[in-house]
Amino acid sequence: MKAKTADTDIDITEEFTPEQMKKLDEIINRSKDKPGSLIPILEESQMALGFLPMPILKIIAKGLKLPLSRVYGVVTFYSFFTMKPRGKYTLRVCLGTACYVRGGKAIYEKVKKELDIEEGDTTEDRLFTLETVRCVGACGLGPVIFVGDNVHGRLKPAKAKEVLSQYS
Amino acid sequence: MKVFRSHLLICGGTGCHASGSLKVKQALQGEIDKRGLSEEVRIVETGCNGFCALGPIMVVYPEGVIYVSIKPEDTPELVEEHLVKGRVLERLLYKEPATQEVIPQMHEIPFFALQDLRVLRNRGKIDPENIDEAIARDGYAGMAKALAEMTPEQIIKEVLDSGLRGRGGAGFPTGLKWRFCATASGDVKYVLCNADEGDPGAFMDRSVLEADPHAVLEGMVIAAKAIGTKQGYIYCRAEYPLAIHRLTVAINQAKEYGLLGKDILGSGLDFDLEIYQGAGAFVCGEETALMTSIEGKRGMPRPRPPFPAISGLWGKPSVLNNVETFANIGQIILKGASWYNSIGTERSKGTKVFALTGDVNNVGLVEVPMGTTLGQIVFDIGGGIPKGKKFKAAQLGGPSGGCIPVEHLNTPIDFERVVELGAIMGSGGMIVMNEDKCAVDMARFFMDFVQDESCGKCTPCREGTKRMLEILTNITQGKGKEGDIELLEEMAGIIKDASLCGLGQTAPNPVLSTIRYFRHEYEEHIRYHKCRAGVCSSLFKSPCQNVCPVGMDIPAYIALVRAERFEDAYKVMLKTNPFPSVCGRVCNHKCQAKCRRDNLDESLAIKFLKRFITDSAPRPKQAMSPVTRKEKIAVIGAGPAGLTAARDLALRGYKVTIFEELSQPGGMLRWAIPAYRLPRNILADEIRDNIEALGVEIKCNTSVGRDIGFDQLSKDFDYAFLSPGSQKSQPIGVEGENLKGVFGGVEFLRDFNKDEEIWLDGRKTLGSKVAVIGGGNSAIDAARVALRLGADVTILYRRERKDMPAAEEEIIAAEEEGIKIEYLVAPLKIEGKDGRVIGISCQRMKLGDFDRSGRKIPVVIEGSEFTLSVDAVIAAIGQVSDMSFVPKESGVSVSKRSTFDLAEGAKSQTTNPKFFTGGDALTGPDTVIGAIAAGHQAARDMDNYIRKVNGEPAYEEPEEEKIDVPFIIDEETVETPQAKMPELHPYERKGNFREVEVGFLREVAIREACRCLRCDAEID
Amino acid sequence: MAKLTIADLKKIKEKVQSETALREGGQRAKVTVHMGTCGIAAGARAVMDSLMNEIAEAGVSDVMVTTSGCAGMCSKEPMVTVELIGQEPIIYGTMDANKMRQVFKRHVQLGEVQTMFAMARG
Repeated sequence: MKAKTADTDIDITEEFTPEQMKKLDEIINRSKDKPGSLIPILEESQMALGFLPMPILKIIAKGLKLPLSRVYGVVTFYSFFTMKPRGKYTLRVCLGTACYVRGGKAIYEKVKKELDIEEGDTTEDRLFTLETVRCVGACGLGPVIFVGDNVHGRLKPAKAKEVLSQYS
Repeated sequence: MKVFRSHLLICGGTGCHASGSLKVKQALQGEIDKRGLSEEVRIVETGCNGFCALGPIMVVYPEGVIYVSIKPEDTPELVEEHLVKGRVLERLLYKEPATQEVIPQMHEIPFFALQDLRVLRNRGKIDPENIDEAIARDGYAGMAKALAEMTPEQIIKEVLDSGLRGRGGAGFPTGLKWRFCATASGDVKYVLCNADEGDPGAFMDRSVLEADPHAVLEGMVIAAKAIGTKQGYIYCRAEYPLAIHRLTVAINQAKEYGLLGKDILGSGLDFDLEIYQGAGAFVCGEETALMTSIEGKRGMPRPRPPFPAISGLWGKPSVLNNVETFANIGQIILKGASWYNSIGTERSKGTKVFALTGDVNNVGLVEVPMGTTLGQIVFDIGGGIPKGKKFKAAQLGGPSGGCIPVEHLNTPIDFERVVELGAIMGSGGMIVMNEDKCAVDMARFFMDFVQDESCGKCTPCREGTKRMLEILTNITQGKGKEGDIELLEEMAGIIKDASLCGLGQTAPNPVLSTIRYFRHEYEEHIRYHKCRAGVCSSLFKSPCQNVCPVGMDIPAYIALVRAERFEDAYKVMLKTNPFPSVCGRVCNHKCQAKCRRDNLDESLAIKFLKRFITDSAPRPKQAMSPVTRKEKIAVIGAGPAGLTAARDLALRGYKVTIFEELSQPGGMLRWAIPAYRLPRNILADEIRDNIEALGVEIKCNTSVGRDIGFDQLSKDFDYAFLSPGSQKSQPIGVEGENLKGVFGGVEFLRDFNKDEEIWLDGRKTLGSKVAVIGGGNSAIDAARVALRLGADVTILYRRERKDMPAAEEEIIAAEEEGIKIEYLVAPLKIEGKDGRVIGISCQRMKLGDFDRSGRKIPVVIEGSEFTLSVDAVIAAIGQVSDMSFVPKESGVSVSKRSTFDLAEGAKSQTTNPKFFTGGDALTGPDTVIGAIAAGHQAARDMDNYIRKVNGEPAYEEPEEEKIDVPFIIDEETVETPQAKMPELHPYERKGNFREVEVGFLREVAIREACRCLRCDAEID
Repeated sequence: MAKLTIADLKKIKEKVQSETALREGGQRAKVTVHMGTCGIAAGARAVMDSLMNEIAEAGVSDVMVTTSGCAGMCSKEPMVTVELIGQEPIIYGTMDANKMRQVFKRHVQLGEVQTMFAMARG
């Protein structure tokens, strides 16, 4: 598993609205006494906040009365969680076998070149975050990329730019 | 009750959503409202229908007509035609890829017709978000029976008797698992459903959850009663939002109906279910890791024992089954164990769902009885491999599994057989790979996957997979070393033995399995830096050049066409191929099959461009090559192999003499390939300018064995290259073969080419009706020549058209000219009268199992005999070499197949070190370009050997004229089809031997050259 | 929603089965309403509505309703073809809602060809 570096410089009062912080409290309080609730709480928190920087992890750890190391350990274990800010759209290139054999890698290279970022990074304008995924089960349409919840299937490298330009 | 006259069941699985089914649904609804049909026609969104490749898909009932690849803009016409006018809209129907036959009814499409739906019985039939529709199709009926009429022990016994084994991969008997858990002590127990489907290429569980979530809930309630639990969890990947949504809807509806919760159906059973979303860790598909994850920790596996049935979630006894397993339970209870186990193999009962993906026509979800053969799944249901490519292997079980190669297509797929072949059933991902996939690269891909997903707990898995990945990556980059394969095998053994969980224990499987079946590909990568599939791009410049047997620099000469420097282009070709004009006409152009442009629109017309160059460029003058070596070399046979070897040897300073039995050089090019494909002067000019001009002497009408003895040859020459070719037709082996009017294919062609005038003026004749037996290029050549001689010609071939070895364009040309081809027909007897042929008796064949080449073996249909009355029969079913000129005592050994044997480890040297060989006489009938490659190989080997014997330093290639190849590519690639070759109209071809293909015009050729993507370019 | 008993489960099954039966095949009769431009202009829509109502009222699930284009005899529109499985199709002409009701009740349900409206066989 790839370790994700914590962005400790982040100022949560600047990054998140008071409403978001209130939502976080609610999420923690709703199920803090339930056994095994850490992962669902993290999932919901990330939905609400977009990402989970270290200060947020501290709040969650405190709320659940868990050591920070445990929360950090879980966040870094599962690829679903991110401690870095995310773009408006998550651009996920499927590199599952079916897409891979149908040219997913060429699409991935093309997208990296177009956005000038590496996997896991976010473009400067915070529009796209680039990820690769393992098989999203849309194998019949390979190669596919997801932009947010939209799927673009049967893609060709030459068409990648056209797809990206649909988003702003 | 609301009745509709028509139901439109539109697929709303993830696959069809992705291809736009929601937009189609909206457009359809709008159109139906607009036309006032909303009270008559109902639209239902179903779960995955399984035919994902052609989505969005819609089935219209009551007719059961299936429409595929529907776009929103199709809906007005669709509604107008089908729902208003009651006519089927043909252009949106399914077309069988092999036959182009249009099939309107869903149940008649082979993809659906050959499946046996149990788990997927509701797919595409119900609205998964409407519990009533599930109930209407026996949903919860099994549960009702279990709750009302059965004891836990009876339930377990029924499941045990059914023979159901876990569908998640390992195949552990489900009933046994339940019994262990039921008898474990403890008040609190759990039933868990594993929906963390993570294998790449596997999507059966997602499909079941999306199409029929209630079947899973039903199975879990039954399990709850069997083991005695009140709480269950479904652990589902967060990557499956639609599945989670449908499950949530299903659970809520079931709770409302009291089918979940307290006192279910008044039986006193309480059972609650929760969905738990996985957070993206492949290892959590492993049972103990999954439980650790539900507990809110890093999802790492724990050692077993204790097994989860004794101590699972929160340390309590737990049953974990996969989605597909649970989806089987309701029906087993409802219809009984004996119904369930009536299909399947001895130890694997029921059906299995496979996610069929990769290089196969019908990508989708397939449910078949256990024991269905791999070939039936890939070819009969899957529709075979797109674009007529060859099947290489199927990867089963994802990154934990292995591949099953072409020679095992007849294997019945069940848990045991699959393991014997080195794969695993896994959850049912079946990825089909064609000849363009590299075994080493696939192994590297899967190793990269598991390396990334290893949780890191066990060192051998964490570090070992990393090391294995490094070695594999090195091999694919040409940095492999001798011993790497053995090292991989050793490390694989250690990782398997020393890892806690399934992920590590199975991680090396793809490597071991590819080594088992494709060891030669590993060796080629390591020793020769060759990737035959054309995948490992560090090892070659362009895929076309990589696949060419002589490695022609295709991108270079195409770039020179674009630059209009045709003479330079010819020079580039001549570096590797002394017969560009010949190959521009008759090469089997494997290069085009590998052309990357084919992924975009169509491959380049490489062969035609080659011909264009030879048509347009003056042939560069070749100077006499000075004889600087004392060794004299004889070449036997002036075919392409012999001529090429002679040229290369002359260039290296040897005096070469070619002995040719017939009156003119060229071998098969002159004596078998008809002039309408390869005009005589084209061949003669190239032999004169590219071979004889160098000083090579060709002695025609000189047969070794008849005119000059083998012994004499050994005395007169120091070394010899034996390339007699294979010029004898194989006998058909039926009665009547010796009748007058029966010809061998090559014998007929040779005789025609020798006595062309006599045949043309009618002194020799075939008669008016001719049957040609065979499906190769010789058969087509013989048939087209016979047609030109005025005969009515029928080709009889024992297999299907797609199995014909002849070039596709030749078959098409034959058909255009009016030659009939009868497929699946084999000769039984040639009928004669007064010693002359009067007819041929045949029988029809049907297709049986697969042979080792991946083609189906034809089997006789008894009682299907019929007789054609014909005046001549030409048997072109294969050729062998005539080796009678090689005396036993020569020390040159000849095999039983009548081909030369090679010295140990040699590529061209025979068992007598003074004799080398190549071409058809070594390999059996092969292509022109194969023979040219063999000529190069032999010349290199002979020269190296001679120099070694003499103690001389190795040959150094002289400095070549440097030809600068321009690099110009288009900024944007616009889809354009391949340029068509202009041809004589079929009526212009009758009765003459004019060249059929006319050749490209200059502007067409240049435009075609501009389509080249220049894969050879290294862009930094 | 009250909690179900096993008997309720069966009731739901039977009810919904009849609604979705046309996905299962096994129809006993096929009624084709000709809905070309001429047919619709002559009132085929009302005939269709009437037919659908009859089917719903009778609660039958084995009658397949389809449409087709103009049958070529525009003067006799609206036209309806009734085909009982295993019998010759009967074409009815100049139909209206009431005639449709009669044809459904007597021909489709009871098998009596309504010769007064019938135009032709086949």
